Amino acid sequence: MRFSSIGRRTRTLLVAAAAVPLFVLAACSGGGDESGAPNAAPTDGTLTVGLLGDIGQPPDPDVYYANNGLAIVLNTYEGLVQYANDKDTVEIAPRLATSWEVDPGNTVFTFHLRQGVTFHDGTPFTSAAVKVAFDRRTAVKGGAAYMVAGVKDVATPDELTAVVTLSAPNSAFLDYLASPFGPKMESPTALAANAGSDDAQTYLQTHDVGTGPYTIETAKPGTSWTLKQYAGYWGEKSPFTTVELPIYTDASALQLAFDHGDVSAVVAALPSSSLEKYEGSKQFDSYMLPTLQSALVTVNPTKEFFRSQQARVAFLQSIDQKSLVDQVLGSRSEPATTLYAKGMIPGGADKQEITYDPAPMTAYAKTLPAGTAMTIGYASGNTNAEQMANIQAAKLQALGIKATAASYPTSQVFGWINDPTQGPDAFFDGNNGPDGGSPYMWGHVFWDASGGINYFGCEVEEVNAQLDQAVATGDDALYVAAAEEYAKTGCYYNLSYNKDWVVAQKWLTGVEESHNIGANELDFSKLGLRK
Amino acid sequence: MLRFLLRRTGSLIVVLLVLSAVVFLLQQVSPGDPARAALGANASRAAVAAERHRLGLDDPLAVQFLRFLGHAVRGDFGTSYRTHRPVATDLASAFPATLELVLAAFVVALLLAALFAASSALSWPFAGIGRGVLLVVATAPPFLLALVGIVVFYARLDWLPGSGRGEGGPGSELAHLVLPATVLAIAPALAIGRILRAGLEATLAADHVRTARSKGLGQAAVLGRHVVRNAIGPSLAMSGLQLGFLFAGTVVVEQVFSWPGMGNYLASSIPTSDYPAIAAVTLVLGAVYVVVNTLADVLQTAADPRLA
Repeated sequence: MRFSSIGRRTRTLLVAAAAVPLFVLAACSGGGDESGAPNAAPTDGTLTVGLLGDIGQPPDPDVYYANNGLAIVLNTYEGLVQYANDKDTVEIAPRLATSWEVDPGNTVFTFHLRQGVTFHDGTPFTSAAVKVAFDRRTAVKGGAAYMVAGVKDVATPDELTAVVTLSAPNSAFLDYLASPFGPKMESPTALAANAGSDDAQTYLQTHDVGTGPYTIETAKPGTSWTLKQYAGYWGEKSPFTTVELPIYTDASALQLAFDHGDVSAVVAALPSSSLEKYEGSKQFDSYMLPTLQSALVTVNPTKEFFRSQQARVAFLQSIDQKSLVDQVLGSRSEPATTLYAKGMIPGGADKQEITYDPAPMTAYAKTLPAGTAMTIGYASGNTNAEQMANIQAAKLQALGIKATAASYPTSQVFGWINDPTQGPDAFFDGNNGPDGGSPYMWGHVFWDASGGINYFGCEVEEVNAQLDQAVATGDDALYVAAAEEYAKTGCYYNLSYNKDWVVAQKWLTGVEESHNIGANELDFSKLGLRK
Repeated sequence: MLRFLLRRTGSLIVVLLVLSAVVFLLQQVSPGDPARAALGANASRAAVAAERHRLGLDDPLAVQFLRFLGHAVRGDFGTSYRTHRPVATDLASAFPATLELVLAAFVVALLLAALFAASSALSWPFAGIGRGVLLVVATAPPFLLALVGIVVFYARLDWLPGSGRGEGGPGSELAHLVLPATVLAIAPALAIGRILRAGLEATLAADHVRTARSKGLGQAAVLGRHVVRNAIGPSLAMSGLQLGFLFAGTVVVEQVFSWPGMGNYLASSIPTSDYPAIAAVTLVLGAVYVVVNTLADVLQTAADPRLA
């Protein structure tokens, strides 16, 4: 067929069809920075950290219980203690308390407070603020209110000493305080002045009353947040007097803005598929920083497919952990070898004893009627978990099992505990973790049905009792015993130790020093400009 | 005309009532747990149970529906489980952003549609290329078009901003509007343009137009007095329909361009089962859809009195 024999309209359409991609190609090959040279540093003292998605809840430390909004909470408020920065182990470090003593019974905690600290309203930070902060947390009843539920009394023998007495021994209490979701110190004066009828919750939707290195200057929920350096901050100050936190609702758009130099750094928001582009890049820096997060597999014992413990264990053994983690998560993680998060139990005594062996699953598959169906779930939007679920489903299909991977909205996932039979047969979690670094916080949330992340209610009374004993005494041997007992259920597989992947412009320094294992965000006051 | 408007107002009320019932029932059958969504992933079961009680989620269904309806009539859609702010407050900031985007997209769509139709009906030279480009671009999914737009015009050419609504005055706001509005406008432009072209072609071939030309009227006078008014009716109806669709299309476009409107608000609310927010956006969009189509009908009637 000759071109001239085609109708005029079709010819035009063909020309246009060719013109559009040609224009796009031409535009993509022209302009832009093809030299690979790093973007220029800001000259106006502004650091721009792109957030992926709205922070959701207000950045009120007694309310906020989600993810990226911690960038605001942790830079405007401070707790008594925190996890040590730039360490890959769980280590409590000073913040507003310079030192502390714990009685042998894990019931009385005495904190010696830092001198010369002021709140953003200019009032001094004293021990009185500790009780006010704990009381407000209890009154607000947010998701992390449990952290102060055991506080019986806060005594203030002097302005710089606070003595916290618990109603029962709790060796995890310091971890509660060090957690990014732990109690933060809030100006009693500002809280009283803006109390309203909701303990200042309305006020704290767009303001802060903390002691942190930055204070909220502009709040545009859903659009952007602007932090301004607090001139009266007690600690070191970064050259960034303003921090802009624009909200991007699309990962590709955020990545393009970063590449373009409009965003200084991105914390744990880019997809694994972009790893190759940034690792070893001459134009950008890429950091893999330790966290308490893991990828996990949870098996549903209420489903017929996994009714027997042998079937559950066979399924876990059929997962090629190393290959799966390498293939899907790459350098963002490493295969987990322990039952708790990395470094929670000294010396790795909580060893995970699951060895890759597809034979038991193959044998189990042969006992099933042909075409037996099962579902492997993952949370909607979690592309890593989706990939892992699909890979494992394909493996089971090869064994003659009609396995499918299915996505579930997060709210549905957390509803299964009310009726686990409504859930899938197994669930892949791409990234999840406890609020803090105590083994109790891990064991309680993942293994105790009342803990929050035990989706299918697979629990063992003896394990819960051991965890309760362990948290009272802080005895690592008890934690190990509890973990080993729970592992026998076949409900749980700690797949990988995940890391926070941070990409930053070349001119940005102090990224590792500004990060700690629990926070999943950066302390902007520790960032600097490369000279 | 008055009876027509009264009839449409009545249908608006019926539509909103039906929508309210549907939205409420969907909340009930949805497997998500709003109390869990409100408190966060690691909250204990006891805390979640207490939150359910506080939110009134353990009240009888009828009580919950009547409470929902009573509040909605007063414009009180409750407090968002996700943002912890009154939904009305959230919508007060999101709705203007969406309205701005949709109106800008509608203007772009009308301009493109007019160009598409006129260039075809009047056989402008080289107009086929432009029409072809529009046809090709309109076949791309909006999210892809949006991403290509950002890559080309922001990341590579550096002509336009790639995300956000713009805060540096009218110039910045307009610049931020160009890409999302154009992406949103492409598909409706083609839909309206095709109807308008058919109308123009049919009218241009009509006897009264031939008569007008034979009387020596110029092209502009023929088009202005005898063609456009007669040809525009069906495309007005289509415009109303497309304006309604534009609101629905904002969900994808606002997400890619980080535009802080209702589409983005809805997209963030769905994964967390933020029912008050989802219900409010649904009801507002439903009302807008009915109102816009009513307006289109009124305009169509004004343009062609035979329809009254």
